[in-house]
Amino acid sequence: MLSRSQARTFFLVGTAACTFAFVGLTVDTFGQLPSRTNASAITPEVARGKQLWDENNCMGCHTLFGEGAYYAPELTRVYERRGEYFIRAMLVDPAAMYPGERKMQRYDFSIEDQDALIAFFRWAGTVDLNGFPATPNLMPLAVGDGVAATGGRPQLFNTMCLACHAMDGQGGQIGPALDGVGGRLDAVYLRRWLENPTAVKADSRMPVLPLSDAQIDELVAFLSQQKD
Amino acid sequence: MRFESQRVAWWFFATCMLLFTLQLVYGFILGFAHAGYDGLHDVIPFHTARATHTNLLVMWLLCGFMGAAYFIIPDECDRELYWPGLAKLQLAALVVVGVTAIIGFHFNWWEGRKFLEIPRPLDYLVVVDVLMFIANIGMTVWKGRRLTTTSMVLFFGLLMAALLYLPGMIPTDNQTIDSYWRWWVVHLWVEGVWELIMGGILSYLLIKLTGVDREVVEKWLYVIVGFTFLSGILGTGHHYYFIGTPRYWLLVGGLFSALEPLAFLGMAIYAISMAKRGGRRHPNKIALSWTVGCAVMSFVGAGFLGFAHTLPQVNLYTHGTLVTAMHGHMAFWGAYAMLVLAIMAYAVPLMTGRHLHASPASTFAFWTSNIGMIAMTLAFAVAGITQVVLERRVGMDFITVQKEIEVHFWGLILAAGLFTAGILAQLWVFVRSGLPVGDLVSGAREGEDGYGAG
Ligand code: HEM
Ligand code: HEM
Ligand SMILES: [Fe+2]
Repeated sequence: MLSRSQARTFFLVGTAACTFAFVGLTVDTFGQLPSRTNASAITPEVARGKQLWDENNCMGCHTLFGEGAYYAPELTRVYERRGEYFIRAMLVDPAAMYPGERKMQRYDFSIEDQDALIAFFRWAGTVDLNGFPATPNLMPLAVGDGVAATGGRPQLFNTMCLACHAMDGQGGQIGPALDGVGGRLDAVYLRRWLENPTAVKADSRMPVLPLSDAQIDELVAFLSQQKD
Repeated sequence: MRFESQRVAWWFFATCMLLFTLQLVYGFILGFAHAGYDGLHDVIPFHTARATHTNLLVMWLLCGFMGAAYFIIPDECDRELYWPGLAKLQLAALVVVGVTAIIGFHFNWWEGRKFLEIPRPLDYLVVVDVLMFIANIGMTVWKGRRLTTTSMVLFFGLLMAALLYLPGMIPTDNQTIDSYWRWWVVHLWVEGVWELIMGGILSYLLIKLTGVDREVVEKWLYVIVGFTFLSGILGTGHHYYFIGTPRYWLLVGGLFSALEPLAFLGMAIYAISMAKRGGRRHPNKIALSWTVGCAVMSFVGAGFLGFAHTLPQVNLYTHGTLVTAMHGHMAFWGAYAMLVLAIMAYAVPLMTGRHLHASPASTFAFWTSNIGMIAMTLAFAVAGITQVVLERRVGMDFITVQKEIEVHFWGLILAAGLFTAGILAQLWVFVRSGLPVGDLVSGAREGEDGYGAG
């Protein structure tokens, strides 16, 4: 039977070997990180974004690279998924973007800080994560990897409108689905709606979105075509 | 209890009970927010409540480990603590730093680094404080009249826990590198050196409570901590799958972390067989329940539920979902919360001289808290698995899925109510046991611990 000194030898040798291997792998990992994490793209602006990310404990609600809390969405690919305009709006007044929904802290970030956080998210999206987040694969309706990119829809529609509305089974359920909306509403109505929802319907919870006239033109043209 | 200076442990344990209770209050805030009631959002937003909940946990566990060490080390080394006064000062300093950190969290003063939210200036104070603790324990071991394996394992566990705090302070602009070092603290703590502390405390308790020969207990202690490090060190790789680190971590992390449950299984078999072998003659039966319960529940929470999501094929979908929270609760409860409650159940009656270990409240506390925690784990499991399927597999929107699973948080809150009832009973027993004024016993032989013959 095993004696106490044999048991101790097992412990010491095993621990030493594993520690050695772990340190070796760490050295190798750090050799690979500059290219895997696209480290040359970590500009002072990105670094400032990370600093804001830390100082405000964004990880206390969200996850990034799957690390953090489980109260708010995973943000690794948020730049691709939601786009710059949507992120900006959230960074200033989230309650306006998701009225009556689960709350995010209101930060009123300056333009420079918004830029820094957006730069940070854009960088995060370029890191090689070995396939995370995975592409949903259970149902045919699931398209892409959380990043809507189909249907010949305007980019802006995919990033901004789908945050709350759905189309072709994709998107959020906070507002009504927009399939066939062009058959129900005409272009004049749609334009007035996008400019200011509550001016059309006083009890609407949809916010005034940060859209330029050209962007509204694009969205109205697209929505008007959705006849069925 | 044989030495005057062991009494200082009581103050650490009292702090434990206080912080633990507060931790639960914040747990409820988190649970209600998930269930859709975030009325406190403007005063205590979710991230504040969360940082407070988890940091209080870590703080009271560390406090418990320190108390355990101050109680066990003099007994094992057969002498008074080297600097009894320093122990009190060190506790006071720890409480001041901790409370400052918690208050800071309510005013946006923190680092957004999960589990290590304590702001940098306070980190240094923590280090100084822990150094005082290590020095005190180290000198006691060094000048002790005997050197036991149990005290060595406990001491090195604590020393390495202190050293491993340091990598967490390496500054970087790269999120991946930040995470890389963060896991050296978080993972190598709970799945490495804290298991040493656990092994040390459990073997002390088993020697005391079962009367099994020290030689036998300590031999198996080596085997178990051997398995811990064999699997746990390279097992760190299970946090390096998807954060930007190389692909080989999928293989290394998957393989070695899949072996980690063996150490916990070993711990469970060890505790059960020692308890059987020694016969349950010791009068403090509830302390033995907590001891064996700790070993068993840590296998369920850390070993079994850890294994459930540690393979990369699974983790790809469960990474960063409520499935992780399910595992986190049961693992921390089984391995470390129950460990601290076990040493308290054994030591408090000796320190205060009031033997309430046979009271119905003690039994109620043990069973109610454990059943409550199992129910909480189930609630998290249902919520987590639903989230994984709907969000990660089907591709539904995050918020839509969160609304879908709100109802399971009512289940969580009910279960947490049960759990809390158990903990309040434990608090009641602790308070009724009174201040540490019990008599010292002089017998230096094993088994003469002040409980008398059963
Ligand atoms: C007592 C020991 C343990 C404790 C206290 C514990 C606790 C935790 C906690 C709190 C987390 C969340 C960490 C974070 O996301 O920041 C976590 C994650 C994890 N644990 Fe454990 N754990 C223990 C043992 C184990 C074991 C033995 C295994 C494997 C067999 C394991 C597998 C995992 C995995 C795979 C994750 C990552 C989950 C994800 O990707 O989101 N754990 N653990
Ligand atoms: C009243 C009882 C409790 C309730 C209602 C509760 C609830 C919660 C909730 C809702 C979360 C946040 C998950 C998220 O990020 O969305 C959480 C996190 C956590 N709680 Fe508790 N909790 C309770 C007690 C405990 C106890 C007793 C422990 C330890 C023994 C514990 C350890 C943790 C840990 C480690 C985390 C972080 C988990 C992770 O990041 O994966 N909690 N808790
Ligand atoms: Fe781990």
